Amino acid sequence: MIRGFNRRWRALAAWPRPRGGTRYSACHFCDTLHEVETVAEGDAARCTRCGAVLYQNRRASLTRAAAFSLAALLAMVVMHSFPFLVMDAASLRRNLTLFGAAWSLSQEGMPELGLAVIVFTVIAPFVLAGGMLYVTMPLIFGRSMPHARMVAKWMYMSEPWNMAEVFLLGVLVSLLKIAKLADVEFGIGFWACGVVMVCMAAAVAGIDREELWDRLEVAET
Amino acid sequence: MSRGFTKASSLGLASCHVCHLVSPVAEGHCPRCGTAIHLRKPASIQKTVALMVAAAALYIPSHLLPVLTTVELGEVTHNTIVGGMLSFWRSGAYPIAIVIFTASILIPLLKIFALTWLCLAATGRIRPSPEFLGKIYWMTELMGRWSMVDIFVVGILVSVVQLGNYMSITPQPGAIAFAGVVILTMFSAMSFEPRLLWDQLDEECALGEETVNATET
Ligand SMILES: [Zn+2]
Ligand SMILES: [Zn+2]
Repeated sequence: MIRGFNRRWRALAAWPRPRGGTRYSACHFCDTLHEVETVAEGDAARCTRCGAVLYQNRRASLTRAAAFSLAALLAMVVMHSFPFLVMDAASLRRNLTLFGAAWSLSQEGMPELGLAVIVFTVIAPFVLAGGMLYVTMPLIFGRSMPHARMVAKWMYMSEPWNMAEVFLLGVLVSLLKIAKLADVEFGIGFWACGVVMVCMAAAVAGIDREELWDRLEVAET
Repeated sequence: MSRGFTKASSLGLASCHVCHLVSPVAEGHCPRCGTAIHLRKPASIQKTVALMVAAAALYIPSHLLPVLTTVELGEVTHNTIVGGMLSFWRSGAYPIAIVIFTASILIPLLKIFALTWLCLAATGRIRPSPEFLGKIYWMTELMGRWSMVDIFVVGILVSVVQLGNYMSITPQPGAIAFAGVVILTMFSAMSFEPRLLWDQLDEECALGEETVNATET
């Protein structure tokens, strides 16, 4: 009972947690070494030399990251279940889905492009949102799941390759191209992809990388 | 060590790329997440330049070769990225023409120029302020992904516009070349080490101080 309370208190305590000995943070632009100091919620620590952000203490960080990544995952299910575009032309109805676009590219002799579409719009967003939920949800209770460090590492490595928002722009451009030939409408998948994009940005911005790793380290000890 | 700032590298400390933990570089791997740690990314300039040159070489065929072919009632048309943009412009769809121009033509070119400039500055051949270059670097990392929009458009059109004999669209090699440009410039920007820009500045300051001391004594 006391132990459980202790764990929870530790997880919710001010971050960065002052620990035994001095801790350091190095600026990613100019490599200037700084001693880590606790910053108030909503504040950021900046490099004294170049002004780049060293780390931030986001408000309700764990709750926000977990809630938005869960919302992004749910929206992802909707995004894959409904078409992005519905086109009626010459008594034919055609639907656009992510897997459909990748499949058509492979069928037309360009499997590498199909694979790129899947990696950038399906796998990277899933690893990012799923990884974020897997790591931050148990951290709210001061715990961690098995292999959480590996998942967190993969999550941050997939971040630059997540292109859900770029695909949305692609759908818009395509709609304008096709509108001349046929009746096209946005499907539910398009709006769901918009929700995925917003939730994912909110989840990633919700928690500082340094904070996530620090809390993970504390939860595992 | 200019103006009393201590660099992590001068104490043999390296900051992890993935989790930002600062630990002695002698350990080889980050004790928290297991990623290999370095004081500076190894062979950063060489990798950046090599990937950038490859991207620049692919940029030419990516715009000369068609990205897709339209077959409408038996009539075959080959479309390049520039051709698609011009047809939007002629039909009066200016905003979308500008979006395509920016994402497909301007951004890859700007990225290649920006990376060249950053590499020149990091090796001391030109001397702009590191703060300004930091912003340029941040922009190149942020913008590159948007060029992928044309590849997605090709995928979407190929998937949707399959209307039997009436009309069909097939992808062409230009699309692969263009995807290559985008992915190579992204890897090139990731290989660049922004801390080299500040190392260069510090080296020049140290040299300056030395010459001042030499003339005083
Ligand atoms: Zn700095
Ligand atoms: Zn690490």
